[in-house]
Amino acid sequence: MIFKGILIGCSSNIVLQAKELNGFIRGHLSSGDNVGSTIVFYSKIEEKNQVLGLVPTEFVKLVRVTRYQPENILQALQAVENAEKTHLYIFPSGNAGSELAVRWSCRMKGSCLAHVKQIECSETQLIARKKVYANNVLGSFKLTKKPYCISLTKGCADSQAITKRDKLTITEYDLTDLQNDPFIKQSKWIPTETTRDLETTTFLVVGGRGMRNKENTESLKKMADAMGADFGVSRPVAMNAWASMNRIIGVSGTMTKPEVCIAAGVSGAAANYAGIEKSKTIIAINTDIHAPIIKASDVVIIDDYKAVMEELVKIVLN
Amino acid sequence: MNILVCFTTVPDLELLNDDDWVIDKNLQIDTSFLKPTLNSYDESALEIALTLSDASESVKVPVELNALTIAGTGATTILKTLNSLRFNRVVRIDSHADLRFRPAAIASILTQYVLEHAPQDVLLLGKQTSIGENAKTHLLVAEMLGWLCITQVVGIELVDMKHLMVTSQVDDGQLRQRIQTPCVLSIGDSPNTFMRVPTLKDRMRYGKRPVEILSTSGFQLSDETEELIELEVIRHERAGILIEGRSPEEKARKLYEAYLKRSVLLKERLPEH
Repeated sequence: MIFKGILIGCSSNIVLQAKELNGFIRGHLSSGDNVGSTIVFYSKIEEKNQVLGLVPTEFVKLVRVTRYQPENILQALQAVENAEKTHLYIFPSGNAGSELAVRWSCRMKGSCLAHVKQIECSETQLIARKKVYANNVLGSFKLTKKPYCISLTKGCADSQAITKRDKLTITEYDLTDLQNDPFIKQSKWIPTETTRDLETTTFLVVGGRGMRNKENTESLKKMADAMGADFGVSRPVAMNAWASMNRIIGVSGTMTKPEVCIAAGVSGAAANYAGIEKSKTIIAINTDIHAPIIKASDVVIIDDYKAVMEELVKIVLN
Repeated sequence: MNILVCFTTVPDLELLNDDDWVIDKNLQIDTSFLKPTLNSYDESALEIALTLSDASESVKVPVELNALTIAGTGATTILKTLNSLRFNRVVRIDSHADLRFRPAAIASILTQYVLEHAPQDVLLLGKQTSIGENAKTHLLVAEMLGWLCITQVVGIELVDMKHLMVTSQVDDGQLRQRIQTPCVLSIGDSPNTFMRVPTLKDRMRYGKRPVEILSTSGFQLSDETEELIELEVIRHERAGILIEGRSPEEKARKLYEAYLKRSVLLKERLPEH
């Protein structure tokens, strides 16, 4: 199978994209029958060497664009690619990757699946697996029209550190003269509040709907800070605006793999659990013994999370 | 400005017990005993549309709000609620087909509705449903119509009859873009967008207005490029060791002694005092 991995170097999560792609290729496409290359999009000249150090294949198409805009990237892909010669395109996890995968497959008259976890390739078809039913069920799908276009799901592969290749065969393209989408008249990027890197945390406290309000959410964050833990929340907490969106743990936010995760007032909904399932130890504190998180944890305390956490902070600090 | 919100109803999967997760030979999971609720992202889309309607007078941009679902009679209660919330037109395309994993079919119906039944300036859709998690419909509609599509939208403001200011979430921040209609906007994680509840007065006055019902036989459905072949329930089970005690303090102490005290991790990360 001839495959192409796509990396969007204009994005700040390029390192994570590259590690995921590397892990996915090693896990699913490492046999000798598969031949792959990487298409890397980037904007700033000074970032060129950094992105080249991240590519997981020997053959690279390095494409410079003005900035990330889906229509720009799709036009650039069309300019540098002959889709008839490629069987599989692998787009990164995250929203941009899904969007590009779907639109590219539509334009190339191929087939597409977003948020893919695993694949099995054969000459005539691709079987791709992804989570469905709010992350409670693994669905297997048969894709039969080439090119197969998939986007990865967050955390689909054990991130593999990239070792810089001795030899790279690079073809460069400068497509900075591509016109921006004419329907976008004005665009302004606003950076969001940066939090400590939840992806690499080793000690995490996650608060769920059981916190009931913003005040309790802020209070649990202070307790986590006091213990030296990072703090995340489930999606409903952020949707209620009790915490910022960039603290969401799970498929809507960050996938973590800490040594210790304390899940406080968390029900254990699958979409949130996906973000902590790689934790070495999960400690659940919840008043409801029937909540799904109870069976899915290593250690369980049935009690009010607030009372237990307050005591735990006192003990830890003394 | 004509705005069409496309929405769907889903069962609340959090109410299912472990034993309820059974896959039958037709790759179905019985959720018929659960009350249908609005898909979370679609609920945000409907509330954002209502907010635009609220603002229309002050910015002097008349807005016509339309809502459409492809569903059976199970969606009737929510359609009545939308009538009560003064959506101008509420449409149900009658279908009892299994559309869980058929984003192309849904996209083709929506496209034909816009092109042949009721022209629109803006289409609002949630980014995915909790059942299929296809995350494709909005993009396919945009491709079929040849319209601009902005994804992960968290806020919309009216500018004039032809323009909107759209805020969307991107990997490392937010984008505020002034865009020209027509467009497809896919709603992502937009906080504080739970759909409002109509007043009793509006329920009495508007709730009984008829819902427009169309048949799917009037639409040509696109084929999917992928086919579901297997479903497998994911089970997460760990030891679940219960720490017992007479008070939160006793439980916290046992947790600390047994699991956290020796943790190098905890010692390393504790702030200095």
